[in-house]
Amino acid sequence: MSDAVAPKKSWRPTRRQFLLGLGVGGVGALALGLPAMRLAVSRAVDEGLVPSSDPLDPTLWFEVLRDDRVRLHLPKVEMGQGIHTALAQIAAEELEVPWERLEVVHATTAHGPVDKQGTSGSMTVVGLYQPLRESAATLREMLRTEAARQLGVQASALVAAGGTLSVRDQPEKKLRYGEVVAKHTGTWEVPEHPPALKPAKDFQFIGKSMPRVDLEAKLTGQGVYGYDQRLPGMLYGATARPPRLGSTLRAAREGKARQQPGVVEVLMGSDFASVAAESREQAHAALAHLELEWTEGESLQQADVEARTTVKDGEGVLVQEEGDVPEHLGRGKQLSAEYRTPLAAHAHLEPQSALVEVKPERVRVWASTQMPGSIRKQVAKALERDEESVELVPTHLGGGFGRRLDAKAAIEAARLSRATGRPVHVGWTRAEEFRHGFFRPPTHHVLKASLEESGKVLAIEHQQASGDVIFSLMPGAVGAVMGADFGAWRGATIRYAMPHRRTLAQRVELPVPTATWRGLGLLANTFAVEGFMDELAHAAGEDPLAFRLKHLGDDELGRRFRRVLEAAAKQAGWGSAAPEGRARGIACSVDMNTVVAQVAEVSVESGRPRVHRFTCAVDCGLVINPDGATAQVEGGIMMALSSALSERITIKNGQVEAENFYDYPLLTMREAPEIDTLLVGEGDKPLGMGEPPMGPVAAAVANALFTLTGKRLRSLPLKL
Amino acid sequence: MKLTINDREYEVPEENPHRVLLWVLRDELGLVGTRFGCGAGICGACTIHVNGVATRACLTPVSTLAGARIRTVEGLSTPGPDGQPQLHPVQRAFLDVQVPQCGWCMSGQMMSAAALLERNPSPTPDQVVEAMQNNYCRCGTYCRIKKAVLSAAQQLAQETKPLTQETKP
Repeated sequence: MSDAVAPKKSWRPTRRQFLLGLGVGGVGALALGLPAMRLAVSRAVDEGLVPSSDPLDPTLWFEVLRDDRVRLHLPKVEMGQGIHTALAQIAAEELEVPWERLEVVHATTAHGPVDKQGTSGSMTVVGLYQPLRESAATLREMLRTEAARQLGVQASALVAAGGTLSVRDQPEKKLRYGEVVAKHTGTWEVPEHPPALKPAKDFQFIGKSMPRVDLEAKLTGQGVYGYDQRLPGMLYGATARPPRLGSTLRAAREGKARQQPGVVEVLMGSDFASVAAESREQAHAALAHLELEWTEGESLQQADVEARTTVKDGEGVLVQEEGDVPEHLGRGKQLSAEYRTPLAAHAHLEPQSALVEVKPERVRVWASTQMPGSIRKQVAKALERDEESVELVPTHLGGGFGRRLDAKAAIEAARLSRATGRPVHVGWTRAEEFRHGFFRPPTHHVLKASLEESGKVLAIEHQQASGDVIFSLMPGAVGAVMGADFGAWRGATIRYAMPHRRTLAQRVELPVPTATWRGLGLLANTFAVEGFMDELAHAAGEDPLAFRLKHLGDDELGRRFRRVLEAAAKQAGWGSAAPEGRARGIACSVDMNTVVAQVAEVSVESGRPRVHRFTCAVDCGLVINPDGATAQVEGGIMMALSSALSERITIKNGQVEAENFYDYPLLTMREAPEIDTLLVGEGDKPLGMGEPPMGPVAAAVANALFTLTGKRLRSLPLKL
Repeated sequence: MKLTINDREYEVPEENPHRVLLWVLRDELGLVGTRFGCGAGICGACTIHVNGVATRACLTPVSTLAGARIRTVEGLSTPGPDGQPQLHPVQRAFLDVQVPQCGWCMSGQMMSAAALLERNPSPTPDQVVEAMQNNYCRCGTYCRIKKAVLSAAQQLAQETKPLTQETKP
């Protein structure tokens, strides 16, 4: 029996019959397609949503099971940001199902919606809020129509609540959703237009701190991650790594690798040498017995990285221009400063991992990835197979932070599985993570401003140079055409209402692989702009909060900035004396339309910065889950603080120096500040939340340290 | 050789006595709840108990574990009267406080916390930091972990059944 949904104009047809026979309740499952929609590829940091030109494939979201559970297939991956819970809340709101009966799973490329964009950019809830509500409401109405037919009543006589449709005034006459589906035959009619949606005043789930749907599995040690995936008869793979950046295989011989204990296969191609063995340790140990010759590669040193990452005055691409900066920059009191941020690692605690089973008829890939669609494509290409024969099963991610975009682990496992005829798991070591992935690029910033007698900024210029962020993930022509990498200059423009302002972004092409890192350029650029803003305030002899407030525009953005700045300042006790030996610093940013202000309270202990307290006010529009949003603030601040105080990747003799956490320590509970979060947003739409809270962190700390010590720190990590 | 893990005996081949417990647990015995993070004893993701003491599975050769009582996150909960696993107070507290984000480090966090509470059922906040400072959480949930550990301690103090009884083989 087919339950494929009959397509109507505004709804795309389902790609295939959905999940018949899956699980106990699978038979009679109902599938629902979403309207074709465009997900944002990216949002220009300043201008809001830039819709994708590439619509999603026709998609499948819900299954109503006979036992009344509703399974929601989500194309966005859960890496700790809480989106599966937020999206479940959005769906449950219109679906009228009890919370416990809603079950959330990752969509695979075989079932459910396929997401070509991946999970990134704080865009999930923003992008899916409206379509998911419409989809859930439509499903509810389809069930209502069918239940009315089965009960022989008018659809308008039915009330949907608690996963049941009952006749108004005759509550004993009712059908549960599972019953409606079980009794249904034939195809489902999908209405042409989604029904009217619930007004906000009636929300039961949106705006509530519903408990995370994925935590119990994660707290009982269940194997929900890519590194955990297991199949009978599986092998473990390991791949030789080059000694330096840029070195490639010149010659490879098996040597004695094949004779090593447990080794099942030694596989060599023009650009790789891999081993499959019965155990992970055996596979890695055998690598040392390969006879490999590598090309020389890079002789790059850290000083070269910094020299190359240097602003060349007046060069680069203008990404913001208001008024006439060259005309006004020389007037009044002039200030300039240079800021610098280093290469940084993602340091997600679950290294890259994938399990691949290659069979003649199909390939299955279980992977910790932010980009299931792209990984599927790349695995298919590596195996020279039709993409349709490759199924990608996304797992939970042990952290993502922008690092899980490449397909290396999956391709390595896929090749070995094809060669051995057995499933192969590849899990990278920490050293592989540190040395053979990619990094947040280094940046250099030159800021100049002219101050009027009144203490107002007349003109300001931000020139920034950065390694690639998005360009490195795109075809070469994109960088050549666009010139400035919008990932690199995220957060770089001047959002204060100063009459003459401009931002120039310069691309730095480095031999070190660089790409996305949580927030992209946000942390680095905000560090520079908001640090400089603090310098201007002190130069003008003004309070840094008052100085910011007086430079805000009289528009919506200005009002939103004012609200968060005032809220954070008030909560943090700005204006009152800080506790003995401490000082406060303030900074703010806007990212993905979410406005954030933070106050850091710091001291110096044994010559090192110590951050005691962070107060953060956020306007992220409509909050779906307050506790989840608060968790993103806490996590974003902690990760940014670790970057601001401790983290730096360095290059020596063409190689990344760090090999493990002993070379790249993260902050621990000992250094964790208290974090006070205020959600002060308004509005009827959610805005980005995964990255924006990171923005002001480094600047707020540096600004506080200046107040405390008189020393202006313009380079990360912050060292006194 | 035999390993006693979560009150159960497992037969492990002795072919390589230098093999560390982490990969034996994960890749041989299917106990994947003990996570790999660094392999160098720094991040704490692989923390387990050996005779009640928080120990890094990534640095512990199985040859040293003959006769030892090993406990992993899979053995943190206990079977309840209805056969359903009954969460350990630390697990309950982590759930109540909604601690995890990605969750990868959480097994290690909870094992460190449970070991702390077994030797010190009512730690001060500073003692919690002392005991937990070698467990990384990249998602940055430290403030919640601290809150949850203190809350679990309070919970334990209120419960009649001492924790040590639950852990006896």
